[in-house]
Amino acid sequence: MNPHPAAPDASAIREALRAVQDPEIGMNIVDLGLVYDIAVEGNRVAVRMTMTSPACPMGQMILDDVDEAIARLCPDRERSVELVWSPEWSPALMSESAKAHFGWQDDDA
Amino acid sequence: MPDLPPPGRAPLLIGGFAGLIAGVLAGLWRFGWPMPDLVAGAPHGVLMMCAFFGTLISLERAVAVSQAWAYTGPLAGALTSLALIAGAPGLSVALGFLVCGVVLIAASACAQRRHDAVHTRVLTLGAVSWLVGVMLWLWQQTPDAAQWWWLGFLVLTIAGERLELSRLVRVSPTMQRLFVLIIALIVLGLVAASVGHTSVLGGALIALAGWLFKEDIARRNLRARGLPRYIAICLLSGYLWLMAGGTLLLTTPSPGSAGWDSAMHTLTVGFVFAMVFGHAPIILPAVLRVKVPYHSGFYLPLVGLHLSLALRVIGDLGDLFALRAHGAMGNALSIALFVLIMVTTATLARARTPTA
Repeated sequence: MNPHPAAPDASAIREALRAVQDPEIGMNIVDLGLVYDIAVEGNRVAVRMTMTSPACPMGQMILDDVDEAIARLCPDRERSVELVWSPEWSPALMSESAKAHFGWQDDDA
Repeated sequence: MPDLPPPGRAPLLIGGFAGLIAGVLAGLWRFGWPMPDLVAGAPHGVLMMCAFFGTLISLERAVAVSQAWAYTGPLAGALTSLALIAGAPGLSVALGFLVCGVVLIAASACAQRRHDAVHTRVLTLGAVSWLVGVMLWLWQQTPDAAQWWWLGFLVLTIAGERLELSRLVRVSPTMQRLFVLIIALIVLGLVAASVGHTSVLGGALIALAGWLFKEDIARRNLRARGLPRYIAICLLSGYLWLMAGGTLLLTTPSPGSAGWDSAMHTLTVGFVFAMVFGHAPIILPAVLRVKVPYHSGFYLPLVGLHLSLALRVIGDLGDLFALRAHGAMGNALSIALFVLIMVTTATLARARTPTA
């Protein structure tokens, strides 16, 4: 039985992560397609995410921002934020609104 | 192997910044401005390209790959920077930067292994270019040829990083091929510049500026607000200087003649420092984990940098030494103001943050 019946689900956490920006691009990490997976199991929230490039020095800082955003939403939960490089991020993972912002046409992959 | 925590990174950054301060003062000394004895006759180019940028970029790469061993690069760079300022013999300094360069290549290769793409390969190529410069300096005992490879290091590093972000606007296969061709032309240009012919490099840099104007996300971010817009303005203004520098190199100016100072400093001050001004507000928080909240005062040193550089170029091309010297002083003051604004902003933000 879930000890926190009113605790936020994965979609609420995904919404909260829209507050985390990639400062260089000026867009949130959810629309950029950097958040691969959000799992809520019992008292634990686990996020798997990536960066646009392994040469990006902002990785750890963005992971900290993600951790803070989850802590604001559900401070009593255990949190784990994992940085993964597989699968590789590709611009095709961006949301439709992000693609429109960067001028993608409908026939772009 | 674990990452190095931010407090351990600060001394490495300070070592690099010592190189920046000494390098800028040594540059001003050449114009006859009164300077401390410590920097009289100090190697301006080596301090800027190796002690400052070599240390800074190898630290940035170490933070990106998050491996403890990668910090031996910026550690070697920072220690060598201090040794150079203290007047250590050239051979020991070159060996110190050699170690820094080898580790920078290894860290770049590590990032490339994680994601093998054109942009990560170009970053590795940039690191190789820096090491080639250090080896040339060691071999020739003068930085005359090496300085081109150090310039190549900065240009390739910036080009690789911008290509990475330009994927967001979906670069067509033709434009990707063109980018690779321009990079090849830059390397060819560096070889030619090492033996006194700079026109190929000039043409390649003009082509790179054109490519960046067209494909970089900066143009789209002009419509944004706050920090992304400020970064975009830094980038685009830097690309204008890249184009100007490339054009000046087409005429193959010789050291000391009109056009030489302009060519070198439109590229290093106008192009590279505009990139530094744009990226410091995001790189400093990444490296030191301090917040540097954006405010419109960031534009002040940027405007100062561009205006004083324009004066410097007019002074150089018009053979007006005093104007050139004042332009150089304006460049230095703009950089100092920028550092002051970054430090003040970060300190005030830290004071306002409640401790947990």
